[in-house]
Amino acid sequence: MNEGQDWVYSDIVKEHFMHPRNYLKGNENQFEYDAVGMVGNPICGDQMRMYIKVVDDKIFDIRWKTYGCASAIASTSALSELAKGKTLDEALKISAKDIDNYLGTLPKHKFHCSVLGHEALADAIKKYRENS
Amino acid sequence: MIYLDYAATTPIEPEVLDAMHEAESRFFANASALHTPGHLALNQIEETRETLARMIGAKPAEIIFTSGSSESNNTVIRTFAGHEIEVSPLEHHSIFEVAEKVAGNKRPKLFSYMLANNETGDILDLAEIVEKARRVPVPEKSELFEGKTDFGKELVTDKRGAYVHSDLTQALGKISIDVNKLGLDYATFSAHKIGGPVGVGALFVREGVPFLPLIIGGNQENKRRGGTYNTVGIVGFGAALKKIEKTKSVEKYDTKIRRLRDLLGERILKEIPGSSLNSSLVKGESLPNILNASFRAAEGESIQLYLDAEGVIVSTGSACASGDIKPSHVLMAKTGDAEVAHSSIRFSFGINSSEQDVKGVMKVLPRIIDHLQKISTIEMEKK
Repeated sequence: MNEGQDWVYSDIVKEHFMHPRNYLKGNENQFEYDAVGMVGNPICGDQMRMYIKVVDDKIFDIRWKTYGCASAIASTSALSELAKGKTLDEALKISAKDIDNYLGTLPKHKFHCSVLGHEALADAIKKYRENS
Repeated sequence: MIYLDYAATTPIEPEVLDAMHEAESRFFANASALHTPGHLALNQIEETRETLARMIGAKPAEIIFTSGSSESNNTVIRTFAGHEIEVSPLEHHSIFEVAEKVAGNKRPKLFSYMLANNETGDILDLAEIVEKARRVPVPEKSELFEGKTDFGKELVTDKRGAYVHSDLTQALGKISIDVNKLGLDYATFSAHKIGGPVGVGALFVREGVPFLPLIIGGNQENKRRGGTYNTVGIVGFGAALKKIEKTKSVEKYDTKIRRLRDLLGERILKEIPGSSLNSSLVKGESLPNILNASFRAAEGESIQLYLDAEGVIVSTGSACASGDIKPSHVLMAKTGDAEVAHSSIRFSFGINSSEQDVKGVMKVLPRIIDHLQKISTIEMEKK
């Protein structure tokens, strides 16, 4: 009998969920950031915060926090990898589709509700620019 | 693997599997046929009917076999299409979604209240509903009362202002059931929650109450449900019923399983910061095998999948897991807090669960919750 794939998400989503990159564990003051952006609402089941450290108009370092499902955690993790090292203008161009492609496509019903991190990133960049 | 999702589906008991294998080869004939193999198959079906009837205090003729609880529920609700239908906020989708679609304002009215809820295990006070139903005056004219059976007998002899249905899917085998003591007119049952196969269920329909078949097209089930008899499945259902009777499963759930459930609940509260229980541990207030808990700042699907990766199988009331937008309507009705509903996990025990299972869960769960709480946007201290 062909058992098929044993996990609801792709291997790369699983990898980012099981071993998320660049997350901020515990108190946010542990990370020296220039701006933080937020998206979502726990009532809807997903909320993300992106913390950025900017040097020479580039995202020098990045951290995130997420309350949400596996694909929310994996997609925020993926976004942090995509955004690191990019100029702010380049980072602003990262779309939900880019995150989805990076993760090898999420289940359709997950795409709309859990791929939100880029909005938190855009919010952080906006706040950074307002304050600098 | 630590399997704690018995309220979703139980594994098939070995005795049930043996009975089904035997039925596959011995009772394969169409049970509606007049020939000997057909008649022998029908005997097997009738035996299950008698077993279930005996266990719930019904007459065999009051039992109809269906494809499962969703069909049983649909059948009752649709019988009352165009009529007033009152359902509890805890009902299964196969009740409230249908009721929303077909309910009207005619009398007699239908009340549908599950005895025990599938997500939290909450036990409802059905006596109150039955009493309420009895006070509804009998309508003078009702299309549900009109008509005669093919045998010239009146369809509805028990004319009332309201009737009561209860979904007993989760209750069967866990707490004792007597449809007369409960005062029910209709009751829903399923095989795959008691060690039987998926795809078989039953509907208790009290003699003389309104009934409209959902599936028309044959004389099966005394013209109340068309379709070739699922002999093998029904045999499996019968074997599962006999097993719960023989092993005194209700007593075991009330003692051994209740202790395990309470132990897990107590340990979660004690060892995991931000945890709360959505199931009562007070005897009589909930099923002994279900524990629903919420973990502040940790989302249910993530908890479920981290547990899965550790070989612990549970379910969640979070919207994310089901692909829905809204979290569990049951937890919303109970807690009124979407975050609590999104952050919930249901642990449901089976008759063979052991203390090792509780230990296994508590070996990994605190670490998983701690990880999710630390990466969460939600602060641990509630504002």
